[in-house]
Amino acid sequence: MNAIPCLTIEDVANLDGVLGEFLKKAEAELTVVIDRGGNVISQFGDMTVMDVTIIAALAAGSFAATKELARRIGEIEFNALYHQGNGNHIFMNSVDDDTIMITVFGRRTTVGLVRFYSASAAQNVSALLKALSSGGHGFSFDASDITAAPVFADS
Amino acid sequence: MSIINYASREIQFKIVYYGPALCGKTTNLGYIHKRINPENRGDLVSLATAADRTLFFDFLPLNAVVIKGFVTKFQLYTVPGQVIYNATRQLVLRSVDGVIFVADSQWEKMEENVESFKNLEDNLAKQNISIDEIPYVLQYNKRDLENVAPVNYLEYVLNNRKKRVQSFEVVSSTGQNVFASLNAVSQILLHKFSKQSDAPKTAAAPVAIPVEPPVVKKEGAAV
Repeated sequence: MNAIPCLTIEDVANLDGVLGEFLKKAEAELTVVIDRGGNVISQFGDMTVMDVTIIAALAAGSFAATKELARRIGEIEFNALYHQGNGNHIFMNSVDDDTIMITVFGRRTTVGLVRFYSASAAQNVSALLKALSSGGHGFSFDASDITAAPVFADS
Repeated sequence: MSIINYASREIQFKIVYYGPALCGKTTNLGYIHKRINPENRGDLVSLATAADRTLFFDFLPLNAVVIKGFVTKFQLYTVPGQVIYNATRQLVLRSVDGVIFVADSQWEKMEENVESFKNLEDNLAKQNISIDEIPYVLQYNKRDLENVAPVNYLEYVLNNRKKRVQSFEVVSSTGQNVFASLNAVSQILLHKFSKQSDAPKTAAAPVAIPVEPPVVKKEGAAV
């Protein structure tokens, strides 16, 4: 039997606590923790303005795409990336070997403030995720819970 | 890798369309995006060159309620088919849960199909995943063209492993069997995580699903 890695309600609350505090201090709009395959692990902030799933997929791609660039100057990878817009910006930093943190922010704050607070937030997120992976959370469901009908319909 | 969030009651799965250049991976996603209920999908993100070749990947997020009590999010990706973009293919395959291998049925594409399948095996192996462990189905695409290899030949070339998988005759431009193959890999994927997944499979090895009854040619019949 294969179990799906699982975030319990308590795990999500702990992650939300860390991310909420970070957003408040950094005065950013939204932060998303993703794995390097582009899956969203946790998110906090104003999610009404954008599709977080797409942001996660593109951010994972962006992070990986610069790995070769980093290698050319003798680095294994860049620890952080910053995309500057006219009014809205994205800051991404590495949490651990499997995880990235994305922060979206606007005119209310500066990249320096986001960068400063994201370092400690990433450390806290990393510690929480480490505890999760060693805690052996896993979830599987009954085959009878899966719909027998086609998952997607051609309309 | 899939992940479940109990607070939002969401499960995420990642499905990758893999195959040689110009085999129809992006066309598959385009058709799904066009035909699926807009409430159940996000935007189709396509990072393509001016010549419409996939440069990085295409991405389409879908939602479905397939497991009691949970919203299931499927993230569909394509990889760039051109040989030189192997690093990008490795990136897109990271944390993959299921694969749809899209083969081009044309005779002259057979070598590219085989190379691409081998490349899939190699790239999965780099993540310590065996092709036999991962849920996947085969699409034999472009069945509407004239110079296509027979399904039996494609089965022999691409579906000759110990464990045979489901395969579909597809015309991605018209949508023929596009949803059938997506649904098939989704079901295999979901059952992989169910508590009964260790149960022995008694079903016979599936073969390509014909969409039309085969035409029987009588010898000597007037043309």
